[in-house]
Amino acid sequence: MSSSVQQVVKRAKYKSTVKDPGTPGVIKLTRQKVVFKPNDPTSNNKLDVDFRLIKSQKNTKEGSTKPPWLNLVHSQGSYIFEFESFSDLHVCREFAAGIISKPVEAPKVVSDEQLSTAEMTLRMKLLGEDSKLKKIHMELVMSDKLTESEFWATKKKLLDQDESRKLKQRIGFKNSLIFDTKPTSDGRINQVKFQLTPEIKYQIFALKPAVHQAFLNFVPSKMSEVDFWNKYFKAEYLHSTKNAIAAAAEAAEDEDLAVFLKDDEILENEARKKVRRVDPTLDMEADQGDDYTHLPDHGIFRDGSKETSEAQNTLYRRTLLQDLNRQSEVVLEGKTLDIDMEHPRTAVEALARRKHESDGVVEERRNRISKMAQIEDLQAQDDHPFAPLCIKDPRDYFDSQQANAVKTLDDSLSGKEKIRCNLGSEEAYGSLRESISNIKTMGLRDPLLSHEVAFKVLSELTKNISSTKSNLGKSSQESVLDILPNTTKEKLLDHWVCSQELLRHFWSSYPVTKQSLVDKARRLKDAISQIYSKLEEIKVSAKSDLRHQVSLVVHPMQQALDAALLHYDADITRRNAKGSKRNGYV
Amino acid sequence: MGTNVGNVVIAKATDSTLWKSLLWRIIEELYPSNKISFHVVEYFMDSKVMTIAIYGKRLTQKSQFIMRIVVDTYALAERHKRRNKKMKFKIEEVTVYFPYDNIYPEQYAYMIELKRTLDAKGHCLLEMPTGTGKTIALLSLITSYTLSKPQSPIKLIYCTRTVHEMEKTLAELRLLHDYMVKCIGPSAKMLALGLSSRKNLCVNNKVLAAENRDSVDAGCRKLTASWVRALAAENPDVPSCEFFEQYERAGSAAVLPPGVYTLQDLRTFGKEKGWCPYFLARHMVQFANVVVYSYQYLLDPKVAAIISKEMQKESVVVFDEAHNIDNVCIEALSVSVRRQTVDGARRNINRMRQEIDKFKATDAGRLRAEYNRLVEGLALRGDLPAADGWLANPALPDDILKEAVPGNIRKAEHFIQVLRRLVQYLEGRLETENVEKENPVSFVFSILNHAGIDQKTLKFCYDRLHSLMMTLEITDTDEFLHVQTICDFATLVGTYARGFSIIIEPFDERMPHIPDPVLQLCCHDASLAIKPVFERFQSVVITSGTLSPIDLYPRLLNFNPVVSRSFTMSLTRDCICPMVLTRGSDQLPVSTKFDMRSDLGVVRNYGRLLLEMASVVPDGIVCFFVSYSYMDGIVNSWNENGILKEIMQHKLVFIETQDVVETTLALDNYRKACDCGRGAIFFSVARGKVAEGIDFDRHYGRLVIMFGVPFQYTLSKILLARLEYLRETFQIKEGDFLTFDALRQAAQCVGRVIRSKADYGMMIFADKRYSRHDKRSKLPGWILSHLRDAHLNLSTDMALHIAREFLRKMAQPYDKTGGTGKKTLLSQEDLDKIVLEGSMNDMLY
Repeated sequence: MSSSVQQVVKRAKYKSTVKDPGTPGVIKLTRQKVVFKPNDPTSNNKLDVDFRLIKSQKNTKEGSTKPPWLNLVHSQGSYIFEFESFSDLHVCREFAAGIISKPVEAPKVVSDEQLSTAEMTLRMKLLGEDSKLKKIHMELVMSDKLTESEFWATKKKLLDQDESRKLKQRIGFKNSLIFDTKPTSDGRINQVKFQLTPEIKYQIFALKPAVHQAFLNFVPSKMSEVDFWNKYFKAEYLHSTKNAIAAAAEAAEDEDLAVFLKDDEILENEARKKVRRVDPTLDMEADQGDDYTHLPDHGIFRDGSKETSEAQNTLYRRTLLQDLNRQSEVVLEGKTLDIDMEHPRTAVEALARRKHESDGVVEERRNRISKMAQIEDLQAQDDHPFAPLCIKDPRDYFDSQQANAVKTLDDSLSGKEKIRCNLGSEEAYGSLRESISNIKTMGLRDPLLSHEVAFKVLSELTKNISSTKSNLGKSSQESVLDILPNTTKEKLLDHWVCSQELLRHFWSSYPVTKQSLVDKARRLKDAISQIYSKLEEIKVSAKSDLRHQVSLVVHPMQQALDAALLHYDADITRRNAKGSKRNGYV
Repeated sequence: MGTNVGNVVIAKATDSTLWKSLLWRIIEELYPSNKISFHVVEYFMDSKVMTIAIYGKRLTQKSQFIMRIVVDTYALAERHKRRNKKMKFKIEEVTVYFPYDNIYPEQYAYMIELKRTLDAKGHCLLEMPTGTGKTIALLSLITSYTLSKPQSPIKLIYCTRTVHEMEKTLAELRLLHDYMVKCIGPSAKMLALGLSSRKNLCVNNKVLAAENRDSVDAGCRKLTASWVRALAAENPDVPSCEFFEQYERAGSAAVLPPGVYTLQDLRTFGKEKGWCPYFLARHMVQFANVVVYSYQYLLDPKVAAIISKEMQKESVVVFDEAHNIDNVCIEALSVSVRRQTVDGARRNINRMRQEIDKFKATDAGRLRAEYNRLVEGLALRGDLPAADGWLANPALPDDILKEAVPGNIRKAEHFIQVLRRLVQYLEGRLETENVEKENPVSFVFSILNHAGIDQKTLKFCYDRLHSLMMTLEITDTDEFLHVQTICDFATLVGTYARGFSIIIEPFDERMPHIPDPVLQLCCHDASLAIKPVFERFQSVVITSGTLSPIDLYPRLLNFNPVVSRSFTMSLTRDCICPMVLTRGSDQLPVSTKFDMRSDLGVVRNYGRLLLEMASVVPDGIVCFFVSYSYMDGIVNSWNENGILKEIMQHKLVFIETQDVVETTLALDNYRKACDCGRGAIFFSVARGKVAEGIDFDRHYGRLVIMFGVPFQYTLSKILLARLEYLRETFQIKEGDFLTFDALRQAAQCVGRVIRSKADYGMMIFADKRYSRHDKRSKLPGWILSHLRDAHLNLSTDMALHIAREFLRKMAQPYDKTGGTGKKTLLSQEDLDKIVLEGSMNDMLY
């Protein structure tokens, strides 16, 4: 269909409209592009258009009153070129026709999808990332065997995935303690510096709703943000000294500081609410409510199994253990960092928004306990319609492979004398005695074996071993490919990928219900037959010693292609025989 | 299934009702207008097979088609039924209903032993590994046993250690109950309920708003005490509890219909009817077939005297998870007095004094009436309205003499004087610089000498106080806990001459710089508290996963079991993998022995062990430490040297703290983390609340690490006194008892990971002392039998390797029934065969 000409260059005038007198210049048509360069380099009427955007072409007839115009129609309008002669026009028209397949049908075949720039860049990016994909793209789309949209239609997953990845995957809450935000000291005494990133601030807010609340209340009406954090870290320092009395004293003096030192009331309320919804099988609070033995001062008080804690100032004692529980809880709740954390204020508000949770879990909890009570093991086994997953020890697998290899080795030796393996111990002993007595009477033969026999046996064995070894764990095709010279191998692989892609498109276009599908099938058939012949070429051109291997590889590929071609022919004849429909215009 | 005989279709079925209903439903569906007239004319039925003959006037091809459908559907239903065939079998004359399709051979053997106990009307001691379904076997046998002997019904009193175990038991019971009702019909219906405190049962929001249990109790009393209600009847402004009033008004009509009631169910029922669930439940306990409640409702005389006094002798009492029962018993009879107690008691006494003066001025007759009552004796408590009752006498009912209150404390003022002197004396004793130990006899003698209070007066202190508070109409009982403690103490010390000692310590051994004097009356003899239970009830069943050595318990509790058995576990595959880890990754020994405990190398080795395991083991890991302070210390040092941070890269970390609410939430979150696949680690303490009753089965615990040997604090004066008592009374050596106690705790901790034979888990005993035979051999048999010699002396890297292999092996599918060898899971057919051949013993042992 297309000529072997790679590009056409002609002098022409570019007219944006019919009335336009036109800009003289040079038009250059390549397989990919239409380029117009005006003679006057300062002119704005340069043109550099992708051929894929050209949908059809029109031209004036020879002998009409009009000058030789070629009109390349694209989605927004058309480019009109006035040539110097009709012969120039024809050359260009034919070239363009080769690229714009089916100019009349064009609106149906060529993608009429409007690509957003984002879509386009995504596709470009995918192609850029995946060289193989790019290769196929070049092979199929650039040579016009498939249209752009057809090509991407089968790659929808790639496109979708890439977009959804950005949306769905969020960064979870970091499971690392912020409590040890380490201060940096610049050597001077009594002064430390804390590095606070928005992320750390966000973490602090998520972990400590009271601090969060205080921030909303105090900043900026009562104190500046810096003051706020100063106070916060002062409180943290007091905690870290584990001196509850000092903390209490400080808190008594400074009521703002007390906010940080006190237990988090919001958390406590939340805990009280949550504990009511907790699974009754682990509700230890209920136990405490039922325990009359351990009334205050009843039961054994100091037997060493229980530990006493100082009751005073528990208010100002927050332990690492509590912090750890809180940390893990927040991680589990899945607070994410998907918000703009530049401004602490927004972080705060975003957190406040997340507070709403559904409350319909009580019922679910109750069901859970009855489900938990049942012993699954004692219930009847369900006959699943599927086999259970069995991840066997990989060594078993390889051992069985080894056994197979040995078996083939045995088979290859089958012509030779078979060894009897089922010797009884009596027999074995007998034969051993026999050979010993033989040696005794005759002495050791020198040499034990003749060189020729030894060499033959060795080579026979090693040959088998090496070939089976290369077969292990790989498909036979690959191992054959390894033998082939690199160029042939690569060519074959390319053709393989390409033919797979073509076949996929080919089969997906059946049954042909629309004209566009008929057309597509035809194009694909052409491409397939091209590949077919190329494969044939490789087969023939292979060196004689490799020809067999090559044909082994090529054969299944050709078979697949054959099937497609056969199907195509059969379909054509069937449709022609029916005669109800005109078979396109082929 | 069916044969077509001309125009008669005969089909055979084993279940007539199912068959008939199916048939008619299909006929109706296909022939709504019923034009074709065919009907079941006759069916013959012998024991197994029902033959149905259906005659039709015009049995055309179409109707034959219907028949085929019916037969097919029937076959389908049959198959479905086979799949959901719950068990029903006979143990001697008793038909046992078991709500599962299969049964473990252990469960069956357990039931046989249990039945022998019931037949003999005696007590028994049964040890069966965790994860073999003890609870359902118990419930199933005892309820079936009751059903089979309708002429002499027995009541089941099921004691659990915790409320959440109560909930679990009731959930299992409900499963069983539903099944039995389905099998037998309404005659199998029974009433089963859980009982707990007001805190857990109250539905009155005003009362519930109170912080703790004691304030809820007091809050309830403030609304329901008889004198308050009398006032409220006259004056509508006096608040009362509508739920209680409605319950009272309903009178004898207020009953629970048969069924199984968890605490939540009781609350829901109460709210619906407007009846107080707490009092309803307490009332219904007498009539219930099954009562599930906490140990102390039977063992602690303070509670038992109110709740359990009406239980009939024909009851089976079950103590589940009873490995710690001796500790519960001695705790029930122990009291301690601290400085706060003394101060509080003094305040209480002053307040009572004021009240007395007030009454003298306004209503002197009331005090006189009390005096007269006391002359007649104290036996009037039974007449008090239920709502007035509070905690009863701390001493056991049998030990209280049936006589009148001594004359010197009958008058309220005199009693107040006695209390004052007693408090004064106790305060003086607290002012000591050295540890003092005394026996009750000499203590009582010195009270007589110094405070002039004789033993008999002491003994009646509690009842006298109780009577006085009633007379004074005191409802805010939570304010009077201190004086109650003093009276509890007095009564106990006046009642018991042996099995107790009084220990006065000026400070805690471990914190000598903080003066915190305490006077402790501690009980050493566990048999005291449980004695009335053994005497009162027909059968007492003591069972747990760890009762090794099983011969020790009868001695500790002083009873003679008719059956005492320890079952092993027949496993389908080696689904538990115990390991003894003696060395860390640097090959140095690890231990929590006192001198090694704070060694940084050991701390780091323990940390590395956990870190490595966290990276290999999926889902949940549970760690047990020997004490809170040790856990606190080690977690802090892990945090400082960065190991904790690394651990947190793999899994979320949750920790048991001393605050129960926080711990409960941590547990809940831990489960969530395991459910969602994030994986988590739970840090817990060997003698803590979590170790006692929370299961870490299935993915909630694939590995449990026991860091160290959980010995009791051996320098504790109380422990030493108890050990001395044990040596003198039972000839039990100190070392033996300590090791026994430590290892039963360890076994209890690690046993929490297995729930069924399909479950699997690893157990690491991380201490070099476990490799010693004298320690290790105290572990229960079911752990020992899986502890291979090769796993006795591991280092971290070796343990890691074993863990990897084990987890991979466990992930493979397997035959649950145990295949061709020893059966580990029995179906109905297997069981029928066994019953026929009587070959159970061959199978199990």
